[in-house]
Amino acid sequence: MSERYSFSLTTFSPSGKLVQIEYALAAVAAGAPSVGIKASNGVVLATEKKQKSILYDENSMHKIEMITKNVGMVYSGMGPDYRVLIKSARKLAQQYYLAYQEHIPTAQIVQRIANVMQEYTQSGGVRPFGVSLLIAGWDEDEERPYLYQCDPSGAYFAWKATAMGKNYVNGKTFLEKRYSENLELEDAVHTAILTLKESFEGQMTEDNIEIGICNQDGFRRLNPTEVKDYLASVQ
Amino acid sequence: MGADTRATEDTIVADKNCSKIHYIAPNIYCCGAGTAADTEMTTNMISSQIELHRLNTGRTPRVCTANRLLKQFLFRYHGYISAALVLGGVDTTGSYLYSIHPHGSTDKLPYVTMGSGSLAAMAVFEDGFKAEMEKEEAMKLVRDAIAAGIFNDLGSGSNVDLCIITKDKVEYLRPYDEANLKGVRQGNYRYKKGTTAVLKKEVVKSMFEVVKTQVKTTKPESMDTT
Repeated sequence: MSERYSFSLTTFSPSGKLVQIEYALAAVAAGAPSVGIKASNGVVLATEKKQKSILYDENSMHKIEMITKNVGMVYSGMGPDYRVLIKSARKLAQQYYLAYQEHIPTAQIVQRIANVMQEYTQSGGVRPFGVSLLIAGWDEDEERPYLYQCDPSGAYFAWKATAMGKNYVNGKTFLEKRYSENLELEDAVHTAILTLKESFEGQMTEDNIEIGICNQDGFRRLNPTEVKDYLASVQ
Repeated sequence: MGADTRATEDTIVADKNCSKIHYIAPNIYCCGAGTAADTEMTTNMISSQIELHRLNTGRTPRVCTANRLLKQFLFRYHGYISAALVLGGVDTTGSYLYSIHPHGSTDKLPYVTMGSGSLAAMAVFEDGFKAEMEKEEAMKLVRDAIAAGIFNDLGSGSNVDLCIITKDKVEYLRPYDEANLKGVRQGNYRYKKGTTAVLKKEVVKSMFEVVKTQVKTTKPESMDTT
């Protein structure tokens, strides 16, 4: 954090809005689409990972990342800001584990991350994060899945299914029609791919999308072979 | 790796079955001797740091990394953190065994012992160790070394715990050998009723003298409405 400015750069406008946060949300809405669906026995996260050139080595970097063995997340917006939040989230999760000898519940890590994001809207010399996060987790005690969204403002929402990034309105409308309470994880992955397909330009392959699932076995990112199988059943 | 299960407070046994083989990572475990709180907290802390490192790098953690983190932490406290550790594990570069002393010095060796029973255990190792031992042989040797400590050192006792780490899996055998089970009483030592003959029975009523009699009426207290 900058030591120079002691005053916040995020200030209120006469209409009562924090324009920096509005602009941050605009940055998110311009980012690559990402989708999250909570099934009865797990959560699926999916995102588009289109690279601007074929020279990019797609498998060296990932958008869907693990925070702890039972929580993972994905983003829409600015990649560099996301990396800062991943590092922060992982550290917070470990601190919780050291203090309580318990793996951090999803709601707790979401609150902590959201708190970090809020700090950057009220601290000196910093700007809000240009990302919205989708956090998927499995609660061991309650034996149920959770899906949360964290916004640049620090607000967080629990969702059954949601879409972020480009064309998120269409994505959400699509999900409203397709979502049902007793969706199983397999069907949820299928639905997530279809939702991404709505706003996808070109051919969807296992190298330009990423899928992560979270169930009672924990969180994991699907490897390209598994993604290919799911895509084959969609096509 | 092996350990006994006795935790002492000077000359008193505080815990007859404590767990001294601590988890660091799925492929790395650490035995701790010295102050129980120090070994527990230190290994927990380094386990957390290794987990963070694992998430950030996306790789299985290396034993040498855990070694570095532990020694740098202990050196910072100049021996005031009384943790003498035996760190072992298997990673992509091979299998490793380290002994870590409270001041922060480490040794990478084929066999190590730490703690009050370390001399007894080392004596067994020096006699029985051979290079490239088979798993069963090695398990027996470690068990015998810990047993030497259990039976000859007052600071060690109870059971033998073993932890075998290989490339594919970890066997956490707790207990591996319960060498000090409480004995079962051989006979019934209760005396039958009537063993002691009753010669005389005398019943004496204890006399109380009335000193003072006071009669009081109990009326309900008025409510405090202030």
